Amino acid sequence: MFDLLRAFHRPSTVAAALRLFAAERRSGGRGRFVAGGTDLVVAGDRSLRYLVDLSRLPLRYVKRRGGGWAVGATSTMADLEHAAALRALADGILAEAAGTAGSPQIRNMGTVGGNLANASPACDLAPPLLALDASVVIAGRGRRTVPLARFFKGVHRTALDGDLLVEVVIPAPPKTAGGRAAWSFQKLGRLQSDIAVVNAAAGVVVAKDGRCTWARIALGAVAPTPLRARRAEALLVGRPFDRAAIEAAAGRAAQETRPVTDVRATAAYRREMSRVLVARALTECLERAGRSR
Amino acid sequence: MNQLVIAVTVNGEARRWTVAPGDLLLDVLRREGYWGVKKGCETGECGACAVLLDGAPINSCLMFAAQAEGRNISTIEGVAERDRLDPVQEAFLDHGAVQCGYCTPAMVLVTEALLARSPHPSEAEVREALGGVFCRCTGYKKPVEAVLAAAAARAAPSKPRAAKGAPAKRAAGRKGARR
Repeated sequence: MFDLLRAFHRPSTVAAALRLFAAERRSGGRGRFVAGGTDLVVAGDRSLRYLVDLSRLPLRYVKRRGGGWAVGATSTMADLEHAAALRALADGILAEAAGTAGSPQIRNMGTVGGNLANASPACDLAPPLLALDASVVIAGRGRRTVPLARFFKGVHRTALDGDLLVEVVIPAPPKTAGGRAAWSFQKLGRLQSDIAVVNAAAGVVVAKDGRCTWARIALGAVAPTPLRARRAEALLVGRPFDRAAIEAAAGRAAQETRPVTDVRATAAYRREMSRVLVARALTECLERAGRSR
Repeated sequence: MNQLVIAVTVNGEARRWTVAPGDLLLDVLRREGYWGVKKGCETGECGACAVLLDGAPINSCLMFAAQAEGRNISTIEGVAERDRLDPVQEAFLDHGAVQCGYCTPAMVLVTEALLARSPHPSEAEVREALGGVFCRCTGYKKPVEAVLAAAAARAAPSKPRAAKGAPAKRAAGRKGARR
């Protein structure tokens, strides 16, 4: 399938990877960075003439940084799924999402950077990372940090522009000021490990008086890019976090989607399931915050 | 074409391969005689091509051979010790977990990885571990039973049995075993 590929570069530093990619780009022909290969190989693009392999770069790590976390771009889904630091973060929603990103073999191959850079609307890591206010660090001429919400530009389109996603940065979770933070990840697929028909993540801070003081709701597979349901979030903040608020926010979130009909589901079904999954996510947050009533 | 020479370890043995930039690991393994690595969907879904890369299951149809440089690969050919089957292979025979056999090498390998990581897996863990290898002959009941039995056998090892030379005895002596 890749018989027309004429070069496979195996750099061991980010600088060398960028240099090789830039040199190939100048000499013409199409090429890509490759890591786990789980999207690139399946896509089978026969116009590719060179690949720059990222698997030797020192980017496979999950570590604390400041009050937050830094995840290297070539960390695999399995790395995230099993990282103790991430299982303890935000009720484990990022580790949980990584654990649904394909079969065990796929999760041993597919990387965080690839999952985001591929920019599938159904990307499983995007909803939890959006809910966590994550950013990506991009290396090119210099380094820049881009909030994930501004990284996705369309279906399979990102802000990378030939540069390299090297790290995901997750800031410290919101201050709870004596209240409780609670999080949830939800995914609807034929099986848990299948591509999502809809996926969703939510995070809330519930103050001691039962009011929601902070909220994040993110959805995938219901628009050209993973999205934050900002109007639904705004509905929650400042009000008692209860079943009525959850129903109202879930309905509003569904209105913020722009789903398509495809082989997996109709647009109408995706919109309705957006409502259902956001309601489930917020209900789980309510239970986890210990304020069911 | 700019050929690449890569050094890999396959089933504990050092190998040097000359590969093309676009060669996939699955195709190179089969070219090199590891025919137990099966070619199925070639899109990473069926898992028939699974091998262990540094002990972890991966689908060799999705990996470029050049990416295997310096890595340890385990295939089904390395599981039995000479003519002595591994307890996992024995359990698959004992429990009738093999029909056409196409998915069996991958099932055995993902089981080896599971038991190395989790010697006493729950049934849910077993189903999760086998979930990336599709069997189109039958269900997954017998493979799941086989893996649970292999885990139990490892916990209390009995005397090993010869793999070759006694096929009639095997077929006659085992509950549910079919050739």
